[in-house]
Amino acid sequence: MDNKGNRKIKNKIHVGSYTFDAILVVFMIGISIVMIYPFINVIAISLSSSKMISMGAVTWWPKEFNFKGYEIVFGQSDIWVAYKNTIIYAVVGTAINLLLTSMIAYALMINDFALRKPLTIMLLITMFFSGGTVPTYLAVQKFNMINTIWALVLPNAISAYNVFVYRAFYKGISTEIREAAMVDGASNFRILFKIYMPLSKALYATFGLFSAVAIWNSFFDALLYIKDEARQPIQMILRKVLFTSGAAGGTFDGVSEMMRQGIVNPKNVQYACIIATIGPILLVYPFIQKYFAQGVQIGAVKG
Amino acid sequence: MKNQKSKAVNSKLPTGQRMVRFFRLVWKQKDLLVLALPATILIALFKYYPMYGILIALKDYKTKMGIWGSPWEVPLFNNFIRFFNYVDAGNLIWNTVKIGLVTMLFTFPAPIIFALLLNELRGKIFKSAVQTVSYIPYFISVVVIAGMLNSFGSTDGLFNVIRQFFGLSAVNMNAGDKYFLLMYVGSAVWHGVGWGSIIYLAALSNVDTTLYDVANIDGANRWQKVKNIAWPTIMPTTTILLIMNVGNVLQSDYTKVLLMQNDTNRSLIDVIGTYVYRIGVERGEFEYATAVNLFVSIASLILVYSANTVTRKLNPENSLW
Repeated sequence: MDNKGNRKIKNKIHVGSYTFDAILVVFMIGISIVMIYPFINVIAISLSSSKMISMGAVTWWPKEFNFKGYEIVFGQSDIWVAYKNTIIYAVVGTAINLLLTSMIAYALMINDFALRKPLTIMLLITMFFSGGTVPTYLAVQKFNMINTIWALVLPNAISAYNVFVYRAFYKGISTEIREAAMVDGASNFRILFKIYMPLSKALYATFGLFSAVAIWNSFFDALLYIKDEARQPIQMILRKVLFTSGAAGGTFDGVSEMMRQGIVNPKNVQYACIIATIGPILLVYPFIQKYFAQGVQIGAVKG
Repeated sequence: MKNQKSKAVNSKLPTGQRMVRFFRLVWKQKDLLVLALPATILIALFKYYPMYGILIALKDYKTKMGIWGSPWEVPLFNNFIRFFNYVDAGNLIWNTVKIGLVTMLFTFPAPIIFALLLNELRGKIFKSAVQTVSYIPYFISVVVIAGMLNSFGSTDGLFNVIRQFFGLSAVNMNAGDKYFLLMYVGSAVWHGVGWGSIIYLAALSNVDTTLYDVANIDGANRWQKVKNIAWPTIMPTTTILLIMNVGNVLQSDYTKVLLMQNDTNRSLIDVIGTYVYRIGVERGEFEYATAVNLFVSIASLILVYSANTVTRKLNPENSLW
């Protein structure tokens, strides 16, 4: 093909390409709005007057500002107890998860370890097969863990996938460091805690956050194992507020009276409760989101 | 090297001596054993002991007698027979398969398309802004998602505000099963599309950029570049995730279904997971619930295995094992 024709084609490609770029940008803005609009709407409604909400007039921002929903939600001692419980579950659960996963991943990284193969197979099987809801429930019951923190943090503390990602991450650390430390008489414990762990900060930041968010968000384990009201995590409170018939009215004292008078809309309370539940995650999200993406990449490339 | 040699020597020894050697080696490595032990105990207690507990599917389970002590069911597969004779069993299985398949049909390709489109964006800052926003729904709990669906679908909720904007009448979308699949699948896509795209974007960021330079010189257009460079790059990841997805078809997100159920739709949208929860945990029919669950687990295993076998026949490099 001669030079002139080539240029012509190239021009054509460019024009088509720019149109495509423009459509793409508009499309992506649309997607972004779909992703965050539900939150904006929830926040706006939670802060609007009962009248405006029932008219369906609230979309992007609060109308006739009304803070009553939050006053009710944060005035409940249940919420604060649930916050405290959830934070304890998340911290203890994450600590156990990180510590035990690191320990077994380190052992499985060492090629000469006699039990490396059987333990790896043992972990692999759990990725494809499980006992199911009822046998696990019976096991937790048998170990007398109903109504205790252990029912929530121990059964899922070790995930085979995480162990394999940790192991791959550790393998990326030069073996010479380990061998040198061995020669100096350091034990495997010392090497793990003093060399490998400090070198794996990115790994711990990511998987620590994953684990904490997962525990913060979980409700089904609590539904199964926690019968005691005083030990419920935050998601169970939210479930009660969002799904109990009669909406939020029956859940909190004195609210139904306010609803009848039109001071507060059930949605004020429900949405304030949603924000109280996801608020902590949304607040830290901008600071930690780079770790999240990084974490999946560690898993994707190395696992 | 050393390891190989010792293995070769080992295999010539009689079993007894080999065992002695093995245990001597384990004893020598007791520090590693101690490191692996806590996690191993947790796996044994909470993964393997429940697997042993599946045995109650074949038993007339009495809590006091324990798993082994309880008498065997007569006939042995009584709990399975009971499920297959259950009038709604066909319905349950069909619902589970239908929800699983439709969900996969949308949630599987969505992140791939999203990643390919993101990859075509030119502005770096804009691209990372869109990515950041698209991950947010992933961190929202299932209770919040089901709660928002419940509230948005009510007659004065957001979905109906939108419907009325387009001239449609307001309906209670939570009643019955008419809108269930739409809301279930729609929210699943919303929840996972951004997050699911990360793994594909990671693969795309590893493309050798000279491929694009060569394509530009050859005058390839955008579509040709996507088809011939980007798509082959993410193909292996796609295949592996597809195999794993096939295994999950029967494991619909029953916690979400459970939350979306109300008195008007419970029987219509019941899936095996919610059924197992209801009969097993709420009604305490442990052995029957375990049998139903086992049936699904085995079917899922067969699905993964078949998907992998097919993939291995077509392209051995992309299979899971």
